[in-house]
Amino acid sequence: MATADPSNVTMNLRRRDARDKLLGRTRYTVDRMLPRMLHAAILRSEVASARILKIDITRARQMPGVRAIALAEDAPGMHGIGIADHPLFASGVIRFHGEQIAAVAADTYEQARAAARAIEVELEPLPIVLTMADALAPGARLVHPDWKNYELLFEGGARGGNVAWEAAVVRGDTEAAFARDDVVVVESCFRVGRQNHVSLEPRAVVASYEDGRYHIETSTQVPWTVRNMTAKLLGVPASQVHVTVPPVGGGFGQKFDCTLEPYAAILARKSGQPVRLVYSRQEEMLTCLCRENAEIKIRSAVTQSGDIAGREAVVLMDCGAYGGEQIFLTTMTAHTLGGNYRLGSVKLASRAVYTNTPPNGAFRACNGVYNTFALERHTDEICQAIGMDPLEFRRRNVLGDGDLGATGQVFEGDVLGPMLDRMARLREASPSKEPLAGGRLYGRATVVGTWFIFVGPSTATINLNADGSATLITAGVELGQGTMVQALPQIVAYELGIHPNDVIVRNADTDAAGFDLGVGGGRTTVSVGAASLAAAADVRNKILHTASELLQTQPERLVLRNGRVEIAGIEGSGMTIAKAVQHAHRLTGPVVGSGSFTNPGVPAMPGCAAGHFIDAIDIPVFNVHDCEVAVDPDTGHVEILSYKVVQDVGRALNPRAIHGQIQGGVTQGLGYALHEEHTIGEDGCIRQGSLETYRVPLALDTVPVEIDLYEGAPSIGPLGAKGAGEVPILNPPAAVACAVANATGCRVQQMPLTPPRVLGLLLGKEPAVELTHIADNWWDNVLMRPRPIDR
Amino acid sequence: MSLRLVVNGEDRVSRAEPLTPLVDVLKDEFHLTGAKVACREGFCGACTVHLDGQPVVSCLVPLGMAEGREVYTVESLATAGELSPLQRIMEEHDVVQCGMCFPGILMVLTSFFQEHPRAERDEIKAALVGNICRCTGYERLVDAAVALAKRS
Repeated sequence: MATADPSNVTMNLRRRDARDKLLGRTRYTVDRMLPRMLHAAILRSEVASARILKIDITRARQMPGVRAIALAEDAPGMHGIGIADHPLFASGVIRFHGEQIAAVAADTYEQARAAARAIEVELEPLPIVLTMADALAPGARLVHPDWKNYELLFEGGARGGNVAWEAAVVRGDTEAAFARDDVVVVESCFRVGRQNHVSLEPRAVVASYEDGRYHIETSTQVPWTVRNMTAKLLGVPASQVHVTVPPVGGGFGQKFDCTLEPYAAILARKSGQPVRLVYSRQEEMLTCLCRENAEIKIRSAVTQSGDIAGREAVVLMDCGAYGGEQIFLTTMTAHTLGGNYRLGSVKLASRAVYTNTPPNGAFRACNGVYNTFALERHTDEICQAIGMDPLEFRRRNVLGDGDLGATGQVFEGDVLGPMLDRMARLREASPSKEPLAGGRLYGRATVVGTWFIFVGPSTATINLNADGSATLITAGVELGQGTMVQALPQIVAYELGIHPNDVIVRNADTDAAGFDLGVGGGRTTVSVGAASLAAAADVRNKILHTASELLQTQPERLVLRNGRVEIAGIEGSGMTIAKAVQHAHRLTGPVVGSGSFTNPGVPAMPGCAAGHFIDAIDIPVFNVHDCEVAVDPDTGHVEILSYKVVQDVGRALNPRAIHGQIQGGVTQGLGYALHEEHTIGEDGCIRQGSLETYRVPLALDTVPVEIDLYEGAPSIGPLGAKGAGEVPILNPPAAVACAVANATGCRVQQMPLTPPRVLGLLLGKEPAVELTHIADNWWDNVLMRPRPIDR
Repeated sequence: MSLRLVVNGEDRVSRAEPLTPLVDVLKDEFHLTGAKVACREGFCGACTVHLDGQPVVSCLVPLGMAEGREVYTVESLATAGELSPLQRIMEEHDVVQCGMCFPGILMVLTSFFQEHPRAERDEIKAALVGNICRCTGYERLVDAAVALAKRS
């Protein structure tokens, strides 16, 4: 079959949605209004742990403007990932500060709030399980005493008590490695806090109930999850829920779950009117579904020549009161903390732990950001112990072609090694910023990272129109990442020989597009892109066959370019695509194509991984980041002097857009490294309830990131592409922590590196992180006993 | 109860309570949804409008304070469908991502450039210190603003 001009696919295509966003015309979910629309408010618990004795809505129901009140009895189902442990409303028991007790719809938001406050709730306080150490202590109170009776949605994870889920990796014999007399044993402990997404558009929904079906217009990354989970919670067939998605004002993983949609749906059915529910910034701060706080203990047996003979680690991830995304994210440790380096033998345990705190969720490069921080700091501690240059150690040990990953998958291609060389050239190309440090302490670090594309099922349909344009229908969502307005139209246009501006991209609509796993894990360009490419190939075949009859030429001799079907090598020959489509209308009917994609399932080594949702990674993505810092010895303030990124992108479809993702992702990562943190008070309430106390990066905090896109690494993505938006946030905390450790000579074990914490390190007053609730014998930390296969 | 104000050059009457935040009047009564409500606390800057020529966060301005005064919103920046030079350069440099913060950033920079048309990079960044952008990491939109300052 003829091929299109490959020069078309890589281009700095501008976003088509930028103009309306700049004009203030874009209507996000928060801007949607419908006739007769009601406003909803949620009554939330103001204690973290209690038994509900009584809920009385008599007075609230009589308040002005009130149209409907929803309670636990309106949503009989339970939801979750892996385990259905989460009711929509607190049912009998309160498990976190901020938990939903009731929802009210009224004519105005103020009326809805007043009525919610008028609901009388009688509670009997229960003890709080505040921290993971509390939760794992012998005889700890169970957050879910009934955990054994919950519906299991995925098999394989070990569970027990306050351990919601455990995933474990055992490959080779670490005991033998640690017992060798030619190794140095290095042990490190790390702790990180929660990070809030602070999407500028809060979670928001407008729901209606029409013709026996729910229509949910929502600010989400996962329209199909919202459809299926809303139906499950409400106890109705999924086909009765219709989800559409307007432009989304930021997600970063926060909107990778169904959250507030079912409340609005129930209220819409009960009131018979459309219902709008928008979370306030305070609700967004206190119940965000944050990147989880975590604790990591890792030890390695390393030879003097720098081989890692054995590695053991335990990662505790706080899932809060309900398992949610953290159940799934236990999987990631194998591929993030277990990534980067060749390991002779390895044992990893990754545990999601219940506490009476607000549930956590997904956040860009979930789990990977803090595990990469831990792994890279640990690596530098190893280098210090054996007296090896950190760059030399990395060059020796990074994963290369044919190397085994933690779960025994075989990696393909040398990628990290050549990327380290590219970073060396980038460093040589620009002078060190050390002179800018002045009298401050100067430090620098180059770190590596392993992430992966979370592939999974997607589908696409393309209508080739009689005017020569194409309409692409998928359940992909535009959050700001650009995929829907840049990569996808570029891919389709390339295959069809038309301009990307002639590819119309339909907004996500579960009644129009087939199933999709959602926007996250860097998968949109890859999975939705691959499905779109397959659909375009289907359309292309059809139009070539139609044209071949008209032109009396074999389809193999035809090409699609510049909106025409041409005979190869004869510019201007043949006919326009529009004309060929018009002909098809008379001959065979309109031209439609479809395509689907799912993960191919790269194999792990049998028996290595237990409790994982993904045993091996289909598309690895690698990072090399370099950072220079200056640390003020008087205040502990850390300034970023320079930041450099070499990122594995497979193939850059839109280099300028990728640069935008890298600058933005690195900045979010620097915020987490330096000043973003939620802490939790004794009452189980998050202490930072507003943007006054939760400090995100501002314009004066940022530096321009120097970027080198590394192309050519193996990828099963469309045209060799990989997702590029997720991974930039993976390494900044690692890079900053290692650079600060180098600058100060202090052992950096925690993030964020706020001035008081750094000053504490410099003065020797910062307490060491010891994690005594993680046992020294790795086996004492796990419920499961995987059967190792020695290699 | 009714209050008069001038919005984007037109006389308007609001029937909202005088303590209603100006941004809610713009959105709910006048259907001008450009100014974005992202925090209601004055910290994010996404709801910035011009009040008698000065940039203000409209979530913290009660309607009563705007009585008889001139309000300009992001919807006023383009004239007859033509983007302003600032809007145009942001589009050309392709710096927008989710876009929620841009109405506020444009209003702040439009006002800033009126007084400092040849501002330096550091001055532009300092002018943006009241605007949170969670997507872009600022630098590329600052590049675009610097390019505009160099043209004048």
